[in-house]
Amino acid sequence: MSTSLIYFWACAATAVLGGLSVVVAKNPIRGAMGLLMLIVSVAGLFLPLHAQFLAAIQLIVYAGAIVVLFLFVIMLLGPSASTPVDRRGTFVRAASGGLFALAGGAFWVILARAVGTGGPAAPDPSFGGIDAVGSVLFTDALVPFELSSGLLMVAVVGAVAVARGRQGKRSMSESELEVARTSVPLPDPADKGTGVFSHEIDDRDAGGHAR
Amino acid sequence: MSIALALSPLLAVGLGALLLMLVEAIGTKAGPVPGTFRDVRGLAVGAASTLFAGGAFAGCVWMYGVERIPGAASLAPWLILDPFTLFFDVLLCLGGAIAALLAGGYMPEHGLERGEFYALILFTTFGAMVLAAAGDALTLFLGLETMSIGAYAMTAFRRASARSAEGALKYFLLGSFAAAILLYGFALLYGATGHTDLAGIGSAARQAAGRSPLFILGAAFVLVGIVFKVSAVPFHAWTPDAYEGAPTPATAYMAVAVKAGAFAMLLRVLTLSLGSPAWTSWASGWPPVMATLALLTMTYANLVAGRQESVKRMLAYSSIAHAGYVLVGVTAMMRDPKQAVAGVLYYLVAYGVSTGGAFGALILCGSRGREAVSYEDIAGLGKRNPAVALAFSLFLVSLAGIPPMAGFFGKWLVFRAAIDAGLYKLTALAFLNSVVGAYYYLRVLVYMYMREPAAGAVTAAPMRSGFVVTALVVSAVLVLALGLTPTSYIDAAMSAAGVGASG
Repeated sequence: MSTSLIYFWACAATAVLGGLSVVVAKNPIRGAMGLLMLIVSVAGLFLPLHAQFLAAIQLIVYAGAIVVLFLFVIMLLGPSASTPVDRRGTFVRAASGGLFALAGGAFWVILARAVGTGGPAAPDPSFGGIDAVGSVLFTDALVPFELSSGLLMVAVVGAVAVARGRQGKRSMSESELEVARTSVPLPDPADKGTGVFSHEIDDRDAGGHAR
Repeated sequence: MSIALALSPLLAVGLGALLLMLVEAIGTKAGPVPGTFRDVRGLAVGAASTLFAGGAFAGCVWMYGVERIPGAASLAPWLILDPFTLFFDVLLCLGGAIAALLAGGYMPEHGLERGEFYALILFTTFGAMVLAAAGDALTLFLGLETMSIGAYAMTAFRRASARSAEGALKYFLLGSFAAAILLYGFALLYGATGHTDLAGIGSAARQAAGRSPLFILGAAFVLVGIVFKVSAVPFHAWTPDAYEGAPTPATAYMAVAVKAGAFAMLLRVLTLSLGSPAWTSWASGWPPVMATLALLTMTYANLVAGRQESVKRMLAYSSIAHAGYVLVGVTAMMRDPKQAVAGVLYYLVAYGVSTGGAFGALILCGSRGREAVSYEDIAGLGKRNPAVALAFSLFLVSLAGIPPMAGFFGKWLVFRAAIDAGLYKLTALAFLNSVVGAYYYLRVLVYMYMREPAAGAVTAAPMRSGFVVTALVVSAVLVLALGLTPTSYIDAAMSAAGVGASG
């Protein structure tokens, strides 16, 4: 077993362990630490693929910024952030775990058969350097680079829209709506002709204009 | 400059979205009472006219002939600018404009008047237009995510409602999972072929690489990711909850534009990447998979839709069922791609205007605190408010596929393409399904015209809004025009399909 293979397996095993601990951990801090482990080992996997720049970015952005942000949020939320143990659906969970293992096994077999059937040649050592990535980003891949700004913009606007929704003083909660709906009785069918409904609508409209 | 002309639909919507955000930030006046929301009705006009302008630009480029614009091909393979793209641009802008107009009426009525919604509609449409034009896995993924994230945020827009939050969370988690599967699939395809552009993957698929296990696995993952967005059974679980929880204009938008964008992606991948003879044959390719998905989707959605007590949820299942009918047309691409793609394109337009109108009519049926949700809510609406009931009936009849409405010709074209492809059993089952589907559409009509609300029961009070009425008029005119004079629209779909199929 060559050194590079040992390195690969070490990184891959750490990544899988980290991923598992994110899913399994009851304590959110442990989960965040598992995520950190996953991110660092995936950054390690990028290195033998000549993607040094990507590995550095992965460490700076994900490990440095995003996991720290997660930790801040968890600390702000405090101990109430952890959910009580839920024992419902143990069978479903076991079954889904079994199915997942089965699918993973099948996937493994297929991939193992696919090994050695070609694929792209190993990249040039300068492939993932800063200058190589930069020149591709601003020449060949300019269109997707510009389009990604649209993606970031919609993510920001969406986050603001969802976060601001809580402050809506005028928006009714579901239960309030239920109350409102059930507390407005239908006018007696007998006096349908007297225009009770249109009267109500006019009232509402007037109120709407007043505000 | 000529590239700007070719990209004008995309630029109009993208720049319009940025402008709208500026206007929202500095232009709108604060409400008369401190702490209340601003009056953002003007933003609805702005969003709708931006989208109509985007659609008009696409129409103008179409008339001029996009092949005649020098430099339009220079963006390939990132963005493919051809009649197929322009056709989808018009459809997506139309769907977005209808949703923006509906929001202009619905949002103030239900106390949700926040300007972000219109910016989200514009950005989501921008993403869907990128998706329709994408000729490379990278741009395809960027477009898909832009579209999806906007749709997640729109679903969660009514944060105070637990149902909205639940639907949005399900949609977000499952959607992210599906996007990850799609991305993994493209990574495997890249491993098998060394290409990320769809046409390059397609040309490699014609050689030995197309039958390697890696390629098959990658193609399967990509298709799973795409049919999730299309919401075909068994990848539909998010649809009813997300559609029911979302504010109704967002539901209309998802049912029209997001679905159309997802089908654009499916058609592109199937024609460009998986269009080789081996992959389009029944014995060794995707047609049996698509046929099974179509059958499952139609049958399951139609059976479940008939059992719903909520009209909105029924319309959500109906949108799943229509995805099944479209998948019948997608399966028919195995024999004669041009005719089948034309059928699918026409169907998407016909379905889009009908379902957009149906959700719009549902909005018009209810007012604040008295939203129309269940069948009982709209009982006797034909007498209380004949105009709303008439509009609702028009769209439902079109969705049911009864002539002379748009939906009829959509089904006719798709089924004819399927028969020409030799899919007799599938067509027969699809026809049976549309008969079953007519049951629950007509059930709404029965409630509106033949039932009276129970004494003392709460019914929905119809609202009044010029915005919603405008959206309904636009949809109704298109439903009738597509149904009564289908020839020119079919010709347009044919010329869009020709280029889309040959790539």
